[in-house]
Amino acid sequence: MKSWQRYAGVFLLALAGVVIQQSFWVLRLFDHGQPGSGLMPFGLGVILAVLAVILIATNLGTDAAPEPFWEPKAWVRPLLALAITVLFAWLFDDVGAITSVVVLVACWLFLVERKGALVSAGTAAATGLVVWLVFERFLQTPFPRGLLF
Amino acid sequence: MFEFAGLLQGFEVAFTPVNLMWCLIGCLLGTAVGVLPGLGPAATIALLLPISMKMGTPVTAIILMSGVFYGAMYGGSTTSILLKLPGEAASVVTCIDGYQMARNGRAGAALGVAAIGSFVAGTVGVIGMTMMAPPLAEAALKFGPPEYFSLTVLGLLLATYLTGESALKGLIMAVIGLILGCVGLDPLSGAVRFDFGITALQSNLDFVTLAMGLFGVGEILYSLEKAGAATLVTTRIERIFPTLADLARSKWAMVRGSVIGFLVGILPGGGAVLSSLVSYAVEKKASKHPEEFGKGAIEGVAGPESANNAAASSSFIPLLTLGIPGNASTAMIFAALLIHGITPGPFLIKEHADVFWGVVASMYLGNVVLLILNLPLIGIWVQLLRVPYAFMAPMIMVLTLVGVYSVNNSAFDIWVMLFMGVCGYVARKLKFDLGPLLLAFVLGPIMERSLRQALLMSNGKADIFFTHPISAALLGIAALFVLYNLRLAWRKRREAGAGAQPQQEAPQPRKE
Repeated sequence: MKSWQRYAGVFLLALAGVVIQQSFWVLRLFDHGQPGSGLMPFGLGVILAVLAVILIATNLGTDAAPEPFWEPKAWVRPLLALAITVLFAWLFDDVGAITSVVVLVACWLFLVERKGALVSAGTAAATGLVVWLVFERFLQTPFPRGLLF
Repeated sequence: MFEFAGLLQGFEVAFTPVNLMWCLIGCLLGTAVGVLPGLGPAATIALLLPISMKMGTPVTAIILMSGVFYGAMYGGSTTSILLKLPGEAASVVTCIDGYQMARNGRAGAALGVAAIGSFVAGTVGVIGMTMMAPPLAEAALKFGPPEYFSLTVLGLLLATYLTGESALKGLIMAVIGLILGCVGLDPLSGAVRFDFGITALQSNLDFVTLAMGLFGVGEILYSLEKAGAATLVTTRIERIFPTLADLARSKWAMVRGSVIGFLVGILPGGGAVLSSLVSYAVEKKASKHPEEFGKGAIEGVAGPESANNAAASSSFIPLLTLGIPGNASTAMIFAALLIHGITPGPFLIKEHADVFWGVVASMYLGNVVLLILNLPLIGIWVQLLRVPYAFMAPMIMVLTLVGVYSVNNSAFDIWVMLFMGVCGYVARKLKFDLGPLLLAFVLGPIMERSLRQALLMSNGKADIFFTHPISAALLGIAALFVLYNLRLAWRKRREAGAGAQPQQEAPQPRKE
């Protein structure tokens, strides 16, 4: 896991660089002698850079017992779930909220959890109905209208 | 001292049918969340934030969320005892002796003592809160910008050092949280910060979106890796009420646990997890039979379970009197109060007495409700463990996605939440604790406002933080705390280095 911690440290160092650059050049540290809107972010950027360097420095070398980021095939389910959720977000405005919910639950149960088509479709339809009842009818949330609802 | 009139007013608020109903729902949800491993109280409160905005009065929303928070402490013991799988972090210690008791056929006694201890400690915590909160709020009225800045610094430091495994990672997360808190409109100058040309980022990052992404989506993705490992409960619980001998043996553990939990819970970052660990260590030391610990000692269940409940109650004290949340769950409640237009802090008791005393009174009622839910109805909670996570995960995801949309009716928030969810997932994989990030995100604006106001007061001179006695004392404590921990870390490294030396002398051949 040490190498992954080092990658995290490098990412954090880059993030700190962006924060420092924005605070120093785009925002102002001081405005007419008074603390400006860039002062606190600048300080935070510097602290983050120092902490990132410490993180990298304390994770040099190799692990005594190497630990993989993912166990074999452990990435499949989270990644599949994430892809389905991205599909939901993409469909949300065009297809409508309730249809997207039905698609999300059906795909999730069928692809991620390997449930049967009938169980997946039934559960998805029931979830869509509950979301419609709770959010649209009871809480009056103005969902985007889509193709079906 | 004891504001009896205020408490009576609180009971008037808490006893209205609507508030009673939401108190019950909060306790039910909290217990369920505590029982089910994976979903913690912070994530659940995050999921409830959008719904709470649709509730009529703020007091009702806070009663619901508080119920979830302290209810989870009750429920957390169930899976610890029956499955050796903590329902939430504060019940980790209960696994040690609770599970051993269950294996010895004494699951009922362990569950009973955990519930009674939780009730006693929860009530002690609320009584302490009733007595301590008003004078503390009075004292906090003397705090100016320098004091508030120093208090937030100390609070954040304590929280980052005490909550996670690594102080360095905790600090990194806290700094990221503070930076995220700077995104959007600067409240003092009106300048737009870190928007990178995205219009939606010009208004500040939404707390609900951030919290639901990190704790909701991140948690679900993380738990998907582990899914399938859960074991169905087959344990039959014969007798739920502990015997008189059990009660006699655990009564002092409950008392000690309540006191420890109450005191540790007030500290930022102290909270339920730390208090249960401290309580377990104290019980082991105080016991006449320390050799029984780890083999099913009832004090090992009674003490920590009492401590985490007392801590859950007392962690409301800094939140409601100083406006400083001490852990992720109270940070969510802090945000809920802000969403409802109420600023937690010293003025809360005076300006929104109904909210403060209503929540306190609901906690008295909630503890009674939870005792009923957790003693005679324990069988129902055990059945809940049979619900397959396969169906729960997509439901929680739907609730998260639809919930975050409903806050601002913005599809952009869904994308931000998904991004935060991925960040939360990766952070968890790399063992970065998310609590300090959320806490810092909440405290960031208070800290920045105090810093800049203090510097304005002193014409830009930083010595204002050291010339004000309270501020100087708070910063002094923070510095001492950091130095002490650095020394501890240094010593640990040296010991580890010394321990590793013999291995270095005879290195193992490594296959490339």
